[in-house]
Amino acid sequence: MQILKNKTNFDFIGKRKPAIFISTLVNIAILVGIATVGFNYGVDFAGGTVVELKFNHSISAADVRERAQKGGLHDVSVQNIGSADENAFLLRMGGVTQLTEENAEKAKKAIEALGPMRNVYADLANGIINFRSATPMAAETIKKAVEDSGTGVQEVRVLGESQAGAGTDYQVVASGMADKVYSALSAGLEKPDFEQRRVDYVGPQVGKQLRNRGVMALLYSMVAILIYVAFRFDFKFGPGALLAMIHDVIMVAGYYLVSRREFGLTAIAALLTIVGYSVNDTIVIYDRIREDMAKYKGKPLAEVINIAVNDTLGRTILTSGTTALSLIGLLIFGVGEIFDFAMAMLVGILVGTYSSVYIASPLTIWLDERAAAKEARHRDGMPKPA
Amino acid sequence: MDRGWWWKFGMIVAVTLGTIWFLIPSYYSLVVMDRDQRNNLVLLQERLPKWAPPAKYRLNLGLDLQGGIHMVMRVDTKTALQKRTERRGQQIATYVADKKLGEVTADTDPEKLQLTLKAKDPATMDAIEKDVLSTFGDFKRISRSGDTLVLAPDETQVNRFREEAVDQAMLVIRRRIDKWGVAEVDVRKLGTDSIQISLPGRSNPEQAKELVGTTAQLEFRMVDDTNPQFFAQMLQNNPAPAGSDITLTDEGGFSQLQSPSREALLEYTKGKVPENRQVVTECIANPMKKNECASYRTYLLDKAVPLTGESLSGADASVNQMNEPEVNISFDPAGAREFEKLTEAGVGRRMAIVLDDNVHTAPNINEKIGGGRARITMGRMGARTREEWLGEAQTLALVLKAGALPAPVTVGEIRQVGASLGDELIKKGSLAALVGLGLVVLFMALYYRKAGIIADIALLLNGLLILAGLAFFNATLTLPGIAGFVLTLGIAVDANVLINERIREELGHGKSAKAAVDQGYDRAFWTIFDAHVTALIAGFILFFTGTGPVRGFATTLIVGLLASLFTSIVVTRVIMTYFVHGKNAQTVSV
Repeated sequence: MQILKNKTNFDFIGKRKPAIFISTLVNIAILVGIATVGFNYGVDFAGGTVVELKFNHSISAADVRERAQKGGLHDVSVQNIGSADENAFLLRMGGVTQLTEENAEKAKKAIEALGPMRNVYADLANGIINFRSATPMAAETIKKAVEDSGTGVQEVRVLGESQAGAGTDYQVVASGMADKVYSALSAGLEKPDFEQRRVDYVGPQVGKQLRNRGVMALLYSMVAILIYVAFRFDFKFGPGALLAMIHDVIMVAGYYLVSRREFGLTAIAALLTIVGYSVNDTIVIYDRIREDMAKYKGKPLAEVINIAVNDTLGRTILTSGTTALSLIGLLIFGVGEIFDFAMAMLVGILVGTYSSVYIASPLTIWLDERAAAKEARHRDGMPKPA
Repeated sequence: MDRGWWWKFGMIVAVTLGTIWFLIPSYYSLVVMDRDQRNNLVLLQERLPKWAPPAKYRLNLGLDLQGGIHMVMRVDTKTALQKRTERRGQQIATYVADKKLGEVTADTDPEKLQLTLKAKDPATMDAIEKDVLSTFGDFKRISRSGDTLVLAPDETQVNRFREEAVDQAMLVIRRRIDKWGVAEVDVRKLGTDSIQISLPGRSNPEQAKELVGTTAQLEFRMVDDTNPQFFAQMLQNNPAPAGSDITLTDEGGFSQLQSPSREALLEYTKGKVPENRQVVTECIANPMKKNECASYRTYLLDKAVPLTGESLSGADASVNQMNEPEVNISFDPAGAREFEKLTEAGVGRRMAIVLDDNVHTAPNINEKIGGGRARITMGRMGARTREEWLGEAQTLALVLKAGALPAPVTVGEIRQVGASLGDELIKKGSLAALVGLGLVVLFMALYYRKAGIIADIALLLNGLLILAGLAFFNATLTLPGIAGFVLTLGIAVDANVLINERIREELGHGKSAKAAVDQGYDRAFWTIFDAHVTALIAGFILFFTGTGPVRGFATTLIVGLLASLFTSIVVTRVIMTYFVHGKNAQTVSV
């Protein structure tokens, strides 16, 4: 069996200018989109709480939403997951702890009403309130006061007498959002009719760290791959491979941007895989170009590239095809992030194949032409041997 | 067939058999054993056939696949810093008064972490500023207006303090989890102020939060030394149960029981001590592995807790004139009084420093200690170096501070996956992988016929190698890891496609079967090598910079790429060579 019976002779490189034009346009549009609209950051990066619930009876998402709102959860999003008869839902909330700005103000007032206080200070990122009371107080009293103001309390810590002897320090730790979900939904029920299957709970600080680390990983690997390519091949191949990589990463990021799929750690993994795949594909074609350059010494580089791309076309189609084939299982059975991963990979395979031909190669040609021109200038400027 | 071929063929057979052999513990752990007992290595070891690899080389399932709790605790260094700044403020005020420079009041801004000194007499402020800044080098000047001087802690000091606070918290968390008896926990530092904890198989996040989130409990308790041979007699009267590994040791004339299992010790001593006494264990650190206990030793303590860490105001490790490491501790006024009373009554006895029900050290009380300052001299014993002793002193100071200076931890992140969800995911995940693999295998066989089947054999071996590799490195298979698995197989297929296309091309040029195969492999080699190495670079960087699921993905990618290099270049070639050279086939079926 064979896909391409006869040797093809398409003029790929001839159409490079319109291709580059369109690619640049799309890339810029995506970058502008990321800057203005932004990703739909998942809980990994944005911080917040996600709770997965499975009810033991038939219930609709609207009902769950209504029950949550009745229980005092206002800005919660409820999403059906899996098939309808599974009765599984994903609940998403902004905060991590119950200490929102509004709650913190109320809690602070409640604490101040307990007696002479100093340094009442709420740390929203960590969900804690620190304060110093002139007179020692029972932890229970503090807990009750804060809870009455509408914030669930996990623990009241006595931090001990202050050094200056001006009072005792306390710390109130607000309880997590997930607790609130649980109590809001099981309010009025003797026994909850659902099972809490998963709780994801990421603080805004952690989220920022995770995001930065992810982006750094992406940058590092690009630089490392650039160095490798520059060493293994000629320097003029390096920038092309890099540009193709950036192009592919932006395109896949575009998938997450346009589809509004959750951009989280798995998305970063997908982007990194694309970096690997993109460079894999580019290198296979570069290898062939280098080989053909030796074979057809006199021909201009553009023509050599055309020959190389045509020679490897069968392999390119096959490889993209089989890799896409291996993703089919993930596309059919994958849920949530894994489905997104497979989808992003599919986009990546398509643009990765395209960019090896239309992004990486033209830049190499351009760099080659520039180098040739420079060399010519250099030669002309040299004094002619007598 | 030359000798080189036979040699390679032998190696491939050995690798294949080795791979299968190596997967036996994984097979038992995932298929034979019950789900609840999956992580019980002891039980697994018992069930395994004698000739199988040790149980620890089994494929770990990630928390996302088997259920469990993943937590990131943030150490509230801010509160700790605030406390510290405040304490230093008081010290400065005392210093100023002692040196008769004037009189200042110190006030701390909890949000900005700044110290405001206000002089009673504005005229003295110049001299105070000069003297304070040169003496308290860990502060720098922010602003000054008349009688008010604003100071802030020095950045490097702050960072060092933060690091210490996180180390303290880690120490406490690890001890607590050890006590909880969870197998396969993983506690590690994440970034500058967070600690990551994995608790496989656990399902109650509230309980876990409570366990690691509450502040450490430090106690000073008296050791009951009225009968130095207490434990020796206990062992004489009641032989230890078989298999409990309880042995008798002696330290400075006091008998102690020792065992690698804390539970065994507590179980054995239960009900054998007087009513107002309690057996508390000490962890003997494992010299080979940091943060692990090699064994535990018993102490008989008074049940009463006369003094807790709340009364402690500071602890520091230093070296004294005798060149012995020591730990200096100080108490607040109330604590100082209590400590004086305690040491007066207990001269000649030992006092145990207990953190979270774990004896850290039990120094001898030589004399009554007044004034709220005490010194614990570490002394020198055995063949340990000074560094080791100093390190121990620092650890003790850390422990004391952990009780004294609360750097509370708060929950930064919790991911809890129910066991049923994990099972569902693993089912779907492996189904997805199998379907993907099946489609590719089928396609290759159809498209390349015999060469395709050879590639398929390599592909299957590749899959086994990845699993065995993960088991060998004790890596964890996560959901993204399964995705990585599928992707690597895709790359492996690419390598085979490259080779086979090359062979076709060479055949198209009219070459003989032998020449076409040899040249096909030779020419494809560097392409495959480059392609794999670049993907490996991405994988390694992903591994070193990523966390959690990204890391799992990277591990699978790295192992998979290495396996793919081996199978596509070595394995398929050996089989191909057998058909072309050995069988002397004139045609190649590609």
